[in-house]
Amino acid sequence: MSAFPVIPLLFLLVVLVIAPALPGIANRTKSALTGRRGAPILQLYSDLAKLWRKGVVYSRTTTPIFRLGPIVSLAATLVAALLLPLNGRAALVAFPGDLVAFAGLLGLGRFVLVLAAMDTGSSFEGMGASREVTVAAFAEPALFLCFTVLVLTTGRLDISGMLGPSLANAWPAAAPSLVLAGVSLFIVTLAETCRVPVDDPLTHLELTMIHEVMVLDHSGPDLAMILYGGALKMALFGSLVVGVLVPRAHHPVGLAAAELAVALALVAVAVGVVESVMARLRMNRVPQLLVAASALAGFALILLLR
Amino acid sequence: MTLLGIGLGIILLAGLLARAMERRSGIADRVFRWGMLAGCLMGTVAALLSLAGPDAAAEPGSGYGLDPLSSWFVAIVLGVGSSIAVYGTHYMAHERPARAVGAAHLFLSILLIALTGVVTARSVAAFLIAWEVMAIAAWLLVIFERERAEVRRAGFVYLALTHVSTLALFGMFAAWGGDGSFSALAAASGQHRAPAGLILVLGLVGFGIKAGAVPGHIWLPGAHAAAPSHISALLSGVMLKVGIYGLFRMLVLSGEPPAWWGWVVLLLGLVSAVLGVLWALAQHDLKRLLAYHSVENIGIILMGLGLGALGSAYHHPAVALLGYTGALLHSLNHSLFKSLLFFGAGAIVRVAGTREIDRLGGLARTMPRSAWAFLLGSIAIVGLPPLNGFVSEWVVFRGLLESGTTAGALRTASVLAAGLALTGALALACFSKVHGVIFLGSPRREGVLRPGAERGLVAPQVALAGACLTIGVAPFLVVPLAARLGAGMVPGPPLPDALAAVTSPVSAISWVALGLLLLSVIIWRLRATAVPQTRPGPTWGCAFPGVSARTQYSAASYAAGLLAAFGVLSGTRRTTGPAGLQVHSTDPVIDSIGRPVWDRLRSAALGLRRYQTARLSWYLVYVIAALFGLLVYLWLVAAA
Repeated sequence: MSAFPVIPLLFLLVVLVIAPALPGIANRTKSALTGRRGAPILQLYSDLAKLWRKGVVYSRTTTPIFRLGPIVSLAATLVAALLLPLNGRAALVAFPGDLVAFAGLLGLGRFVLVLAAMDTGSSFEGMGASREVTVAAFAEPALFLCFTVLVLTTGRLDISGMLGPSLANAWPAAAPSLVLAGVSLFIVTLAETCRVPVDDPLTHLELTMIHEVMVLDHSGPDLAMILYGGALKMALFGSLVVGVLVPRAHHPVGLAAAELAVALALVAVAVGVVESVMARLRMNRVPQLLVAASALAGFALILLLR
Repeated sequence: MTLLGIGLGIILLAGLLARAMERRSGIADRVFRWGMLAGCLMGTVAALLSLAGPDAAAEPGSGYGLDPLSSWFVAIVLGVGSSIAVYGTHYMAHERPARAVGAAHLFLSILLIALTGVVTARSVAAFLIAWEVMAIAAWLLVIFERERAEVRRAGFVYLALTHVSTLALFGMFAAWGGDGSFSALAAASGQHRAPAGLILVLGLVGFGIKAGAVPGHIWLPGAHAAAPSHISALLSGVMLKVGIYGLFRMLVLSGEPPAWWGWVVLLLGLVSAVLGVLWALAQHDLKRLLAYHSVENIGIILMGLGLGALGSAYHHPAVALLGYTGALLHSLNHSLFKSLLFFGAGAIVRVAGTREIDRLGGLARTMPRSAWAFLLGSIAIVGLPPLNGFVSEWVVFRGLLESGTTAGALRTASVLAAGLALTGALALACFSKVHGVIFLGSPRREGVLRPGAERGLVAPQVALAGACLTIGVAPFLVVPLAARLGAGMVPGPPLPDALAAVTSPVSAISWVALGLLLLSVIIWRLRATAVPQTRPGPTWGCAFPGVSARTQYSAASYAAGLLAAFGVLSGTRRTTGPAGLQVHSTDPVIDSIGRPVWDRLRSAALGLRRYQTARLSWYLVYVIAALFGLLVYLWLVAAA
């Protein structure tokens, strides 16, 4: 890496900036399809700005872990962003097995948020934490099966290699597997970003929430960090889906950037459409959905291994 | 080797002095603590020097000696052993004068010497002697609180299974051939007295039971829960690794393993990893929970080992190297973080007086330093950056995925990466439960806490947590050593390219870890400037007025949803009664295999009681009959 990596850095900045628009697009799609006007697409930006200026209430039950949770979680998500080849070519940091680091960093982010929830001693937040780890336990194998599909198609062990030029070359031969993996990754995205049919961010009843109830006690800048981290996670998983389905390694930089922005918006629209056409699943059905996602990736693997 | 010998001598002397000066406990403790520390550190330095130095062939002739593989495990035994001895002195001080603490200290030093002996033995006899001394010394420590019936039972189960393991090893060595030295064993490979497959299976049974792989794990939860906490740390962190060492040694001596053996070990590892963590999730007793996590981690180590064997068998040195390196690294890392977690469990026992997770809560206020150390240990065992557990799991993951880049049957192994991912996610669920329920929230029970009891137990925890963090942030300190050792295991010519492929991306792990820490600090500073005011308040109860410590999510309710999703595999049984829902955790292997087999054996053995007359004359008749039988056997052999 002799020259300063200007272009990957620019792509990273773009993703960091547009991330909060994605939940807005998803919600706006949902409003449009259900005949409502809905909040502005850029609503989350003003929410974040307002929350950043607000005061904070800390429960008397909490320990420093409660304050550390959002900070470490956001830091982990940001480092994970460095590992993704957002421009379709190469990430800022790439090394063999970096996909394990990607999953590990997001896992760390989840772990500290879950602990912060347990720190409040609230039964509701304990419930949310328990559900969060349950969903994650079933999403993780599906994610790794998708990664394995990519390893088998490209022969590379770094995300940059898996989503880079060798994927574009492998597409014609391995199209069925890659489509299956893309769909599986989309389901994982729904689970990881806490959207319908796994979780409903707009529900008003704590008993039916997963992620929202876990962060009930966070306020002010802490909540802003959690919301921004969530939006960023959506952008990261979205760009994984886009990376698998739209290999852009051979496209010029400007086109690749436009493709990324449009495709991320389309992923958000797809999330909104899913939310409009189906209800969320019963809590004990969620594992079945995620096992089905694993099965899709498993079929993709069988196609490759035969 | 001389340095190691002196170190072991000091360890033995410290143990003997601790026993002899039992009456003057203050001095005895100090002598034991510093003696053990000095002896263990000398031994560790000797092992590290031998690891870092040029590859010396083991000294021939002598019964015990150091080669790189031995040195790696000696470093684990004595390095972790030093912290265990220091912790143990403080932990056991509370047991005086009710129990024989001096004797326990002596057994601990004998156990450490025996463990060192097992991993440095150079002949079958030396190995088996050390193995048996290790088994007995560990048993004496497990039954330290033998007035409790459950401790006696756990001790008995351990004793029975460790002898099944010894028996299998006798069979293995007998079938191997050679004159009894390890060099002769290596020379005899290929021309055994029995099929090579039988030898490998007997070794897997013997060492697998010792290591605690499913289904040989059934001695493990009981023994770990029954033993004093520092002994649990030694059993789990160090003694299980001796089983792993045995498998490694067997592979070194027998040369390139067949592919089926590699597949068996890989699948055994997967089953142990997933079932171990699932059963851990169902436990209510902290030490039993940690014991089941050892089953999980041994599973991860076995996956690495099996992958190494497969890579060798299919001639893919890169896969083999990653597998062996991952197994060796995870052995080291698990010994560090598991001992740390057992130290935490011991501190909890001393401060709160119970190991029942659902009776604890909010302990971070009473014992903040232990809570932080336990948090680091939890992040490490879950395999998350920036702790050491991530480094070794990353290597094993890479090995599994690397197999996907090969052609042929080995390619299929890449699918198992998803199994390892499931294990990690379940471990995350389990340790968020453990740390969240025990240390965070409010106390679940009114009770007397003794914060003073934590004193002396903190320093060893800090030391181990520091070691875990150091390896996590600077893995280049240990990964090249393990990789060079792993490269020695792979048959064929040296592999500089594969070796570089393993070790060079390690610096990237450092950058990720440092980036994570740095970004956290930056965000923390930014946030400190943003917050205009903070004020304390109650936890938001969602407009529900009856919030109390009793309404908190308990460990059982936390795990219930996940366990229900796994159905019968999880081994939990739910009963609903007037008092509400109860979830019982059982071990399917113990219930469906262990107990029935034991009952059959027992009823068969009862038939032998007729011959147990307790009369000397009859016993002499048995001895004479046995002598006569042996003579007839020898005559038959000579005649044939």
